[in-house]
Amino acid sequence: MKVVEGLSKGIAAGSTVSVAELGLPVKGTNGLLLVFWKST
Amino acid sequence: MYLGAFETEEACRAWKEEYELEFPVIADGDGTLFRAFTNGWVPWSVLVGPDGKVVFSENEFDESGFSNAIRQMYEAPSAEKRMTRRRGSRAPSTVILGGGTGGLVAARELRRRLPSSHRIVLVDRSRDHVYQPSLLWQIVGQRRPDQYRRPLSRLERKGIEFRNDEVEEIDLESKRVRTASGDLDYDSLVVSLGAQLAPETVDGFEQMAYNLYDPQGCAQIHSALEEFSGGTIGILITAMPYKCPAAPYEAAFLTESFIRKKGIRRDVEIHLYTPEHMPMPVAPPALGNSIVELLSARGIHYHPLFTFKELRPETREVVSSGGRSDRVDLLLGIPPHQAPAVVRSSPLLGVSGFIHVDPRTLRTEHEGVFAIGDVTTIKLPNGKALPKAGSFAHSEAKVVAERIADEVLGKRSDASFEGKGHCWIELGDGKAGFAGGDFYAEPDPRLTLRRPGRTLHWGKVAFEKWWLHHWF
Repeated sequence: MKVVEGLSKGIAAGSTVSVAELGLPVKGTNGLLLVFWKST
Repeated sequence: MYLGAFETEEACRAWKEEYELEFPVIADGDGTLFRAFTNGWVPWSVLVGPDGKVVFSENEFDESGFSNAIRQMYEAPSAEKRMTRRRGSRAPSTVILGGGTGGLVAARELRRRLPSSHRIVLVDRSRDHVYQPSLLWQIVGQRRPDQYRRPLSRLERKGIEFRNDEVEEIDLESKRVRTASGDLDYDSLVVSLGAQLAPETVDGFEQMAYNLYDPQGCAQIHSALEEFSGGTIGILITAMPYKCPAAPYEAAFLTESFIRKKGIRRDVEIHLYTPEHMPMPVAPPALGNSIVELLSARGIHYHPLFTFKELRPETREVVSSGGRSDRVDLLLGIPPHQAPAVVRSSPLLGVSGFIHVDPRTLRTEHEGVFAIGDVTTIKLPNGKALPKAGSFAHSEAKVVAERIADEVLGKRSDASFEGKGHCWIELGDGKAGFAGGDFYAEPDPRLTLRRPGRTLHWGKVAFEKWWLHHWF
């Protein structure tokens, strides 16, 4: 479902992300799977 | 980790409890991370590796595809691909898996382009090619199975070997396909196995629904419509993606026309349930809106954004994840689609749950392996996936056949799939609409919609006749 109009294509595969700077309760650097959802 | 886009902490807690999740569910209340990572659609998944590199960032969600990607992320980098030499005096070969639209066209085009010394083998577990668009006419009694099936063994007359066999394994390292009756080595492989229907993954489907995408199911639908005397008819899309975006809507129009001619229209309600926000959401909104208007004009109740949760056969209810439950007396169901098991268990599987290919050449990452049709996921410039439809499989097959043939003949190939496709939209009462255009256009697909009429319906019929005659 579309939540927001006008955004880009999303972060591309191959980009680099600083997990530490996301402000999420994540420990360690063993990989991270983020799944965005929205209730209807 | 799940992030609720624009959700509150409370909503996230409730969601975590409802689904009994064991991992964190965090509120992205102002949507900062959502805006940074996605293109505005949910669900959206991002896998970040231990080195901070984004492994994938996708709108589709598939458990097998994810597991594959995560496993490959932690495996050691593979050694340089070995150049496998043809064993012994084996003839050069192209193996085609699947005798549907893509496989059939690929086989015939390759045979046309290549000398008889090049072996072409088509493998399918079914003896027949099924022209799938005819299934819709079957539900209203306008087609019998013998009118839309052709035996694949007829391809032998065209110089193509046909193996009526189950594909058990695709060994990409050895360039070999394992089937129940023996192995096939290949120089080029075309995977055209389609999208498998998985009604068994929906509890109660067999008891409560007729499978709209299956010949037997369509025969049952016809019988049920003949006997139907009143009540509620439902057309349910259980999950995304599904092949042929127009088909559920065509089924609704054909059913409404059938019921009306039967003289019981006043006693029947027709409802269409879909998780899409509009019909054919990849196409420009004007197309979807025109279909919504047609549904409304026919009194067909349209329920977009209906996220299917479960069926309750004992009360004949269709239930959404939002808690809505509708009683349906006659249910036409489109089951979930998935890649066939032999693909799901192979390195070909992409994170979307289907095979990812180059949008122009249809090549996979594996040497000599192409994939076409419904078994693939092709990303459009706008980030969405190319719909699964026969028109694309047809065009993709011609491109792949030309590329393989050029390679065999030592020619440079510039054959390219340009994202063009079209679709008839059957409306019942002897009329149809038609839409087609460029799905690779930027920023969004550019399609034109023709005014519905009888000529377009007869055009669809004529294409059916041509197809079954031309390729066989």
